[in-house]
Amino acid sequence: MKLTLKIWRQQGPHDNGRLVSYETDEVSPDMSFLEMLDGVNQRLILKGEEPVAFEHDCREGICGSCSLVINGVPHGPERGMAACQLYMRRFSAGDVITIEPWRARAFPIIKDLVVDRSALDRLMQAGGYISINTGGAVDGNVLLIGKEQAETAMDAASCIGCGACVAACKNASATLFVAAKVSHLGTLPQGKPERARRVAAMMEAMDREGFGACGNQYECEAVCPKRISTRFIAMLNREYLRAGFVASGSPAEPDSSQAGPD
Amino acid sequence: MRRSNQFQTSLSSKVAVALSGLGLAGFVSFHMLGNLQVFEGPAALNGYAAFLREMPIVLWSARLGLLTVAVAHIALGIRLALQNRRARPVAYAVREYRVASMASRTMALTGSLLLLFIVFHILHLTVGLGDPSVHDQLDERGHRDVYGKVIQAFHNPFYVALYCAGQLVLGMHLSHAVSGSLQTLGVEHAALIRLFRAAGPAVALFVVMGNLAIIFAVFLGLVRP
Amino acid sequence: MITLDPKIPPGPLETKWERRRFTEKLVSPGNKRRIKIIVVGTGLAGASAASTLGQLGYQVECFCFQDSPRRAHSIAAQGGINAAKNYQDDGDSVARLFYDTIKGGDFRSREANVYRLAQVSTQIIDQCVALGVPFAREYGGQLANRSFGGVQVARTFYCRGQTGQQLLLGAYSALCWQVERGQVTMRPRTEMLDLVVIDGHARGIVVRDLVTGRITAHMAHAVVLATGGYGNVYYRSTNASSCNVTATYRAWKQGAAFANPCFTQIHPTAIPPAETHQAKLTLMSESLRNDGRLWVPSAPADRRLPEEIPLSERDYFLERRYPRFGNLVPRDVASRAVKAMCDEGRGVGPGGHGVYLDFADVIERHGVDVVRERYGNLFEMYQRITGEDAYRVPMRIYPAPHYTMGGLWVDYNLMSTIPGLFVIGEANFADHGANRLGASSLMQGLADGYFILPYTIGHYLASAKATLVGEEHRASRAAVERVTGLVATLLRANGRRTAASFHREVGKILWDHCGMARSKAGLTGALKAIPALREEFWRDVAVPGSGETFNQELEYAGRVADFLEFAELLCHDALHREESCGAHFREEYQTADGEPQRDDERFAHVAAWEYRQDDSPLLHKEPLAFEFVQPTTRSYQ
Repeated sequence: MKLTLKIWRQQGPHDNGRLVSYETDEVSPDMSFLEMLDGVNQRLILKGEEPVAFEHDCREGICGSCSLVINGVPHGPERGMAACQLYMRRFSAGDVITIEPWRARAFPIIKDLVVDRSALDRLMQAGGYISINTGGAVDGNVLLIGKEQAETAMDAASCIGCGACVAACKNASATLFVAAKVSHLGTLPQGKPERARRVAAMMEAMDREGFGACGNQYECEAVCPKRISTRFIAMLNREYLRAGFVASGSPAEPDSSQAGPD
Repeated sequence: MRRSNQFQTSLSSKVAVALSGLGLAGFVSFHMLGNLQVFEGPAALNGYAAFLREMPIVLWSARLGLLTVAVAHIALGIRLALQNRRARPVAYAVREYRVASMASRTMALTGSLLLLFIVFHILHLTVGLGDPSVHDQLDERGHRDVYGKVIQAFHNPFYVALYCAGQLVLGMHLSHAVSGSLQTLGVEHAALIRLFRAAGPAVALFVVMGNLAIIFAVFLGLVRP
Repeated sequence: MITLDPKIPPGPLETKWERRRFTEKLVSPGNKRRIKIIVVGTGLAGASAASTLGQLGYQVECFCFQDSPRRAHSIAAQGGINAAKNYQDDGDSVARLFYDTIKGGDFRSREANVYRLAQVSTQIIDQCVALGVPFAREYGGQLANRSFGGVQVARTFYCRGQTGQQLLLGAYSALCWQVERGQVTMRPRTEMLDLVVIDGHARGIVVRDLVTGRITAHMAHAVVLATGGYGNVYYRSTNASSCNVTATYRAWKQGAAFANPCFTQIHPTAIPPAETHQAKLTLMSESLRNDGRLWVPSAPADRRLPEEIPLSERDYFLERRYPRFGNLVPRDVASRAVKAMCDEGRGVGPGGHGVYLDFADVIERHGVDVVRERYGNLFEMYQRITGEDAYRVPMRIYPAPHYTMGGLWVDYNLMSTIPGLFVIGEANFADHGANRLGASSLMQGLADGYFILPYTIGHYLASAKATLVGEEHRASRAAVERVTGLVATLLRANGRRTAASFHREVGKILWDHCGMARSKAGLTGALKAIPALREEFWRDVAVPGSGETFNQELEYAGRVADFLEFAELLCHDALHREESCGAHFREEYQTADGEPQRDDERFAHVAAWEYRQDDSPLLHKEPLAFEFVQPTTRSYQ
């Protein structure tokens, strides 16, 4: 199968990038998309050229490393899967495939198709956790958590942190990412004590990192490899509104919202 | 976790835009319903207009309130739009949307056009800059002849085209705005999600159809002077 | 010269760990603030250790080569995590989990370590629940369990098929908290390339910043390696593409003993490779063998489509060879049988690398809907990868390297033979013996990181009383120079072959001669072939670009260079172990009907190898004493 690839090449964060065309004819339908790129790279190396930098690791759709926008859609034409799970039989001979990196101010390009997604880590550091020390946890069955509640939490928690939601969003917003974490922890009783501070801190961090605001277009859900629902965004918004009232503090202890470990 | 009780985030702005937007959507709905009285003849419409004018304090308070809401909506909207634009400095060479509607992707544009249209509309029919002679006419009961003004305006194909374009822009803006606002305010439900997502297009259709009915009824001569 | 002192506390098995915790020295809170610990790797073991150490008050500097700590390969573990909670009241206990694990490891692991693992297993579940891990629950709200890997109790906790992901994200979130508190400094996209040893103690590491290419030394009072396994030495494996042996291997070269490197687990049910350049093999859940039947054509080189082969010309080889367990024999047994069939030329699919896993019978018995309900997502995954509909044609499967039981040698305190160097998770050799049971790798990683290392490292720190050495120390400058030199050499070679082609070749040598079945002749041959290949590598490898930028090919070439040396160590170990045990099968040591023969008299020991420059590695033996259980023979016929 013969294909034309138009791949974004960019030396470094401050260089100008451009789309470069590559013809490749050693493509079999049984190859994965990333194996096809591996092949292109092997030939580039033998020609003494620098291979195309792209991120990949587990190649089974769970690590969240892959970050390719294929023909204008993050993770490519298949729904509910990451680019590493895309196979070449999805394409036909003669196709022109454009491959670009995630594009967002919060995700500066490192090289070619590799972007810096540490902004997502900083969102998590702002509040995506339960402040609990190791040791001394009560027995796991002391907290009874209904099956449906646990399933909802699991739906939200299945986010792989790839950032496709940001890449797909017209506003490069990380709202679905934040919503998934806030909903996961906010649904479980363990996460409730910190829910008000968590949602406020994470939303503030999102603005600080240069992400846009949610445009309610649901493009994020449509490209999410784990099909995380935008209903979690509504849940996030509710959590935020609730927090807005709760964080004003209770009358008896004016500072109660700021008590506890930081 | 950082201490936070500032709540000065883009999401707060979004909530404010959503609330003000819902208020404005409510206004355009009632505005349209009020104007439907054109079908009951000059007495009804002019009476309705006079009724509003008989309570200047209420009327001007309402106008002021509406203005405040609109200004907040516009100012925060612009701020959000700028933040959103900054969030992606380099555009994709190839871009394909899966679900995002045209309306949802052009909210800033339709919002801006809508503002221009509203300014024109106020100058045209409320202030009466278009034709001051018509504006000052009184009907037989001594009320201002709003009815006559409407009839005259919509006999003019130029104004009809302009108002139709305005309705198109309004419809697009509303169709995304109402459902989006519900989502922003966290109004969401497993079973009713379709209803909520259909609310925007439904409200848009309702308002636009009502307004277009007036315009075309006049233009096609179904409502006569 | 290395001495192996496992430092196992005396006394009854049940109280060894408790006594050790009591006799260990502690570091006072005030002193902890002044102590710096380096943690390399952010998988289950690394992330849980770094977060716990940070919470205890140490200054932690944590490194990973991925772009985020959350991407470590623990994330891909599917099945679940074992714990002796006995929530199902089905007779489980710490003692039973201990026995299952030690027997599953074919009596090649330390009793004391395994018992401790079983003991802390229950705490792990509680800790993870507290961190918000959304374990599967029953309707009444209690934790759900399933059975796994042929044991007789249901003790596996799970989060759908994404248990590893959820446990890792739990540990990662704890790590995020400590980063926010300023207790942990996180350094992603930074690869450890050497260990700094000063006066016999591990005092720092040398890293390359993968974005800028800068090579620097980072110093600390102690170093913890949590850098995972080396399954990728086989080129094709179920591991993530960046998994490598570099950190542990380079620590080995600095004096840490490497234990049991030849114990590598090959998983029987992976999707066979479709083409030659493919490195990643995708695992299909073992549960498929509950209902699927494995078969190959009776005649070699039968190229007919499966549906054209009549029943009389099919060989249901597992059912034939193991009538008692049939298709449900353990991983190592199944893998070997599949390989035997393919070696006889009866394999199916491209290159004859595969056997059929047929669901026709169960579909006929229960209907397609039942099968879809049980395995729908797996059939979907299979179709996506192969383009074939397994409801209509049999699946093809082939074994794939999956997990490595071997690793750096550690004592009961998880400290290597270099004082101050601790090794946790898959990177150490400790708990799984010659074969790992399903759902116990997650357990071990978290046990080490949350509950064992944070205690035992304190004892070292309190007794060693080391001072922090500066980066300009002679030893760290020398280490930086070693790494800089290595990087320069790789870039200078400017040859005609890609690093991947060498990786593929060394992988094939290992797979053929040190894979599921090993023999003296094969291993000796491999030990000749590998050095020759290595020489060619240094002469003819092509690494484009520069060392001062983001250069993935340079990273990869460095890892392949280590695989090319490490492969030899693996073969040495396999050659020395003249017995068949667990995942290690020597063709010379089998019964008349092809079953492995263990030799407890000569080989009930841990083989710990010492690095010697310009000489073959030196073998040390840590004898394994079984005081509490009696080694028995595993038989599945």
